[in-house]
Amino acid sequence: MSNFIFQALNGLSSAMFLWLVAAGLTVAFGVCGILNVAHGSLYMMGAYFAFTSFQILGLNFWLSLVFALIGAGIIGFLMERFFLRRIYDQPIEFQLILTFAFILVFDNLTKMIWGTMLIIPTMPSLFQGTIPIVGRPFPIYNLFIVFAGIAVGLIIWVILNKTWWGMKLRAAASQREMANAIGINIPTLFTAAFVFAALLAAIGGALSTPIRVCDSGVGGAVIIQAFVVTVIGGLGSLKGAFVGALIIGVIGALCTLYVPFIELFVLYLIMAVVLIIRPQGLFGGER
Amino acid sequence: MKKVTGILGIALFLVFILTPAVNAAKLPKVIKIGGQGVTSGSKADYGHQMIMGAQMAVEEINNSGGILGSKVEMKFMDSELAAAVGTKNARYLVKDWGAHFLFGIDSSGVSMAMAPIMPELDRILIICHGSTHKLTEEAIFKKGLRNTFRISVSTYQDGILPAMIFKDRPEIKRVASLAAAYSYGYSAWEMFEKTLKKYRPDVEVVGKAEAPYGHMDFTPQLNALMAAKPDLILATPWGGEGLMMLRQAILLGLFEQPWFKVWFQCMGGSIDMAEGLTADVKGGKFHGKLWATARYLWNWPDTPRNKAFVAKFREKFGRFPNYSAANVHTAIFAFKKAVEQTKSLDTQKLIKALEGMKVQAPDGERWIRPEDHQACYTVPAGHYVYDRAVCPNAFLGNLVVIPWEKYYRNPPDYKLP
Amino acid sequence: MTGLKDTLALSIKRHRSQLCWLGAFIIFLFILPLFSGDYILYMVMRMAILCLLSYSVNLLLGNTGLLSFGQAGFYACGAYACGKVLLAGTSLLPGIIIGVAVAAIVAIILAFFCVRHTAIYFAMITLAFGMMIFSLAEKWVTFTGGDDGLIGIPRASLNFFYIFNIKMNTIPAYYYFVIVATLIAIYFIYRILHSPLGLIFQGIRDSETRVSFVGISVRKSRLICFTIAGIYAGLGGALFAPLEQTITPSTSHWITSADPIIATLLGGMYSFSGPIVGSVVYFLLKDIIVRLTMNWMLILGTIIIILVLAFRGGVMGAFHAYLSPRLK
Repeated sequence: MSNFIFQALNGLSSAMFLWLVAAGLTVAFGVCGILNVAHGSLYMMGAYFAFTSFQILGLNFWLSLVFALIGAGIIGFLMERFFLRRIYDQPIEFQLILTFAFILVFDNLTKMIWGTMLIIPTMPSLFQGTIPIVGRPFPIYNLFIVFAGIAVGLIIWVILNKTWWGMKLRAAASQREMANAIGINIPTLFTAAFVFAALLAAIGGALSTPIRVCDSGVGGAVIIQAFVVTVIGGLGSLKGAFVGALIIGVIGALCTLYVPFIELFVLYLIMAVVLIIRPQGLFGGER
Repeated sequence: MKKVTGILGIALFLVFILTPAVNAAKLPKVIKIGGQGVTSGSKADYGHQMIMGAQMAVEEINNSGGILGSKVEMKFMDSELAAAVGTKNARYLVKDWGAHFLFGIDSSGVSMAMAPIMPELDRILIICHGSTHKLTEEAIFKKGLRNTFRISVSTYQDGILPAMIFKDRPEIKRVASLAAAYSYGYSAWEMFEKTLKKYRPDVEVVGKAEAPYGHMDFTPQLNALMAAKPDLILATPWGGEGLMMLRQAILLGLFEQPWFKVWFQCMGGSIDMAEGLTADVKGGKFHGKLWATARYLWNWPDTPRNKAFVAKFREKFGRFPNYSAANVHTAIFAFKKAVEQTKSLDTQKLIKALEGMKVQAPDGERWIRPEDHQACYTVPAGHYVYDRAVCPNAFLGNLVVIPWEKYYRNPPDYKLP
Repeated sequence: MTGLKDTLALSIKRHRSQLCWLGAFIIFLFILPLFSGDYILYMVMRMAILCLLSYSVNLLLGNTGLLSFGQAGFYACGAYACGKVLLAGTSLLPGIIIGVAVAAIVAIILAFFCVRHTAIYFAMITLAFGMMIFSLAEKWVTFTGGDDGLIGIPRASLNFFYIFNIKMNTIPAYYYFVIVATLIAIYFIYRILHSPLGLIFQGIRDSETRVSFVGISVRKSRLICFTIAGIYAGLGGALFAPLEQTITPSTSHWITSADPIIATLLGGMYSFSGPIVGSVVYFLLKDIIVRLTMNWMLILGTIIIILVLAFRGGVMGAFHAYLSPRLK
């Protein structure tokens, strides 16, 4: 039984990374209508920037997170303002191809800039060590991740529901024309929303560096998991992304314990079943 | 519209109709050798080490008169660890660029895909890393695809050697597997389990976990295994993933546990691992429990030949040579020896020359077994130590040397030793 | 059938210059082995296979407006099935036919689940099924060989009811087989797209409601379209198996599905020859770039970005706009 609890807790911390990437993906889709296949690459850029500032420049951990946010935010801004904006009126296929091309570009640029360096982070001393949970050592950092993920969730909730900007965002997401009609500057809002999404992905990436290998292929690997999560939770729903991430993270970890060889199949099966029975996901509205 | 298609098509094709016809029988002024390895992603260091080893070999050869007077030219491509890319590159290198010889290949899967097309391309391929036993036992020996050779060790090194070492340690009773979830990982574990159980029927397998390729977070697998309290874990995820896995294991306090005695990291002796683990080894985090082997160790044997190789490599590239580099270097020299012996580039003659050849590698002599083209040589295993006087990186010390004859499987029946 | 003869004559007259170029192109393909090496023939075969896969995508995308991210799944079904059959020792044709049949069956089964949805959900569900096939291919080691895949698939000879037996192990021999098979397949898809069924497909792309008002079952048409697309992808896979002689699970990965999508978009979704041109251009681009630099992803990505932003209808669309006032 303690095995189960422990593994589930593991799954919870994996889920937080999924949640952060999926949250950004779903915001970009819900507000701007963009399905950004390169979203995983923004996660990756966050990781690389954090690594560079923490490991190479020697900044402290929290500052490196900020650095990652700034870096990814700029990239997100450039992506939206100069590239994605031009294809809002195009069918979704063009978006998917354009953003897929971005995956190729980011992957290659990362290789060129950071070279064949193995991104081997060290744990910030603040988080080293473990805490006994159900009698077994659980890494403190993983626990931190769980709290960080929840904290980010709360921050997002506050922003969306309690701030003026958040209200504009929600208005634009549900009724674009009306929002435009009452004077909300849609293009600027879209850019801001996309940058916000990029920041979420970047935080996920930055937080992952102490415990996960970072390489130039991470962008492509992460996006597929984010798709599974957002589909299950419902494209456009943040609550859905959170719940979806929990489901996938925990089920994935439990599969590792009990039925390791069919883990991947199970995850995609869940995705397919959700799409067949309830395509809008657990929390998505009609779209 | 069709006009455009036609013009476009013809124009682009004209670019390619410059295929040099390669006459493999006469010795041309420039001998071209084509290599492949993974040069991108978390395993990129292996490909780059291959490039370094090849560059050093080509330079040495060209500076001493080439191969029978012909200069050597080398081209290296990224196999991306994908079979389709590997075979396409091979076809390009031979049919378009005009390579007379192919070498390299990191992935077991790509090795298996290459073996069937080499006869069609009428060239020799020497595999320098990919270790699946199926290549030599099935593709070469059983199916008769004789254009492929392997200068590097087989999975016997990862599976059978540790069994032979730990069968003599009575304190190892409970073993567990953390396998890379593809055939290399499965084969290594299977060989280990079967060999160990043969000598020590009292040994129990208490846990089996696997990590898909490219897996990022090993905590679930590690936790699953730790729950079973094994004495020994045999781990096959390699490269960047392997490093991460060990980091996470330290974090979970695995190495602190008194009941845990040995972590055997199959390809752990490679340079990227050594460099990455140095800080933790220095800090004593592994408590001497981290064992590993490799396909060549820069610090064994302590012969003048090996020392000279390592020194030259370090002078040229500023790093220690990985087994990828050493194996590629050896492969190219093996090819040179075969050409000098047969005085031709005829594929069938070269195959005959290589079969049974004794090649001089930095770590000594390797015998290319004629039946299945597997190079036979000894690589020891040891555990990670740190000694600044010897090396700035961590390295494998307290080496246990078991001669290859004791742990290789042999044709025709390939029984476990 | 007088009507048919007249229509044929009329269309020949109208498209005379196009048919001339088509003829020249086909003749060029047939005489290519005489003056070029094996690598070029290999590349043309890979282009032909990509072309079939692109038609598979284009059928769904350009004609019924559905973007599938899972065509690689059917491609893999065709490849694995053909591979297993050939490994059992048959001649070439049974392998190809069974490969296509298996892909068709899988397509029919999955079609029922997939065509309930459109747009983004269709893309997602095809992605999910494609990846399920991928994980099956990886894990069902006893049947598919796991991640090593099927190895040593023989390039069996073409044995036509014992009338003739042509060896396929040389590249030029197999090249002719692949080219002929592809040309026949393209001809069939030409007929389909220019038939009433094809008009229905395009009608669905443009406006579903109108088509259903006319009394045509949108769902049934989509099922048919999906199945045909699966067949073409399966044919591509079946032709690929004897060529490479190794099939690995990556043939079913979603990144493999991306190639024909890019090729279709590059060539132009709305023109018939879009997939052909797109496949040729995409393949050549990738091949040339890889030789010159290890940074091929950057250059390919940049080119795709420029093409998507600059040319809305793909390369063919751009040429249309420049050269031909008539709409195809």
